[in-house]
Amino acid sequence: MHISEGVLSAPVLLSGAVVAVAGTAIGLRKLDYDRLPQVAVLTSAFFVASLVHIPVGPSSVHLILNGLMGLLLGWVAFPAILVGLILQAVLFQYGGLTVLGVNVVVMALPAVVCHYGLGAAARSNMRYLSISASFVAGFGAILLSGLLMAAALVLTGESFWPVARLVLAAHVPVMVIEGVFVAVSVQFLKKVRPELLETIHAKR
Amino acid sequence: MPSVKPMRTFMVLAALAGLWLGMFFPTPALAHKVFVYAWVEGDRVQVEGYFSRSQKVQGGRVEVFGPDGRRLLAGKTDEKGLFSFKIPQKTDLKIVLTASMGHKNDYTLKADELAGGGSTSRPTPAPASKPEARLGTAPAGEPRTASPPVAAPAVSQIDEDRLRAMIDEALDRKLQPLIRAMAQANEPHGPGLTEILGGLGYILGILGVVMYMRSRGKR
Repeated sequence: MHISEGVLSAPVLLSGAVVAVAGTAIGLRKLDYDRLPQVAVLTSAFFVASLVHIPVGPSSVHLILNGLMGLLLGWVAFPAILVGLILQAVLFQYGGLTVLGVNVVVMALPAVVCHYGLGAAARSNMRYLSISASFVAGFGAILLSGLLMAAALVLTGESFWPVARLVLAAHVPVMVIEGVFVAVSVQFLKKVRPELLETIHAKR
Repeated sequence: MPSVKPMRTFMVLAALAGLWLGMFFPTPALAHKVFVYAWVEGDRVQVEGYFSRSQKVQGGRVEVFGPDGRRLLAGKTDEKGLFSFKIPQKTDLKIVLTASMGHKNDYTLKADELAGGGSTSRPTPAPASKPEARLGTAPAGEPRTASPPVAAPAVSQIDEDRLRAMIDEALDRKLQPLIRAMAQANEPHGPGLTEILGGLGYILGILGVVMYMRSRGKR
């Protein structure tokens, strides 16, 4: 999910950066600072998730975890993913610093959508509703990220359908695995640490 | 425990679905970074593109640029992720690989690597201007790129330069497996433990700094 440097055009990079800055500002304003350690733990999880390769058939995929970040962090996913991506760019040379904004938007915007669209359902006490909502969050976050990534590539001049098809086809296994992962994690948290599932936005 | 049952059924089903889908979409395009590496074999440059050791870039676009930014040639990698081309000119070559889905990287092959091992101490810098001069004074690496030394007409006795060219060629052939192994050992690859732990340390550090600032503000 990391777009490399030198692929996108300047207007795309610039608008990505603007949206990323705006999202990060909202996230920092909404953050309940007493729960900062939770944000740091999830940022760490995001940072290393891309290194966890799961063999699927003849290929292997890695987790992205933006669906889980969305459910647990809401808007705070923006600053958390920003920090994770900066460190990945500097230490792993994944993506790059000029594409940072676009990459942040590609991964964090679906997280926010998941938070508002599925957060309440995932926290619900109805087991099936909760399981399916968290599965859809994990699955849908990757789907949306794939579409955003295809859109970014398209705005730079590639034609939409071939790119979108390639990106989405490549991510179908990740979608399913992330869906399962988020569903299992949410059920686990509900049993062990239900307070972590409460929205992290400060009440004001 | 009946309450666990739907969860478990769901997990099994989803895992099976994931596995099944994985069979149908064996795209290697999921990696986060593409690597490109190039080395010299005789008068050709071998380019290898890969996402990881086992996942090569198939059908990736390779473009080669000179130091002035002019595009010299282009091509596609084969199913082993390899692409080779004849050395077009003995200057620094910038090799740019564009794989699918926004992955791109480049590698610069230095001019002295292109010159080859035996012919670095060349006596004349630009000998290819006159054809008859080439036979006599060509540095060892030159005949292979311009005209093969076999085609030289009527040179019966083996002079010094000819000999040097032959030794050079033989050495190239003998050393090729070694060069390839060295190239593969030198290839850049993914992050190690240092980078991973360093990143986690940074996140903890940022957490600490922010919490410290907040706690000072409150008091």
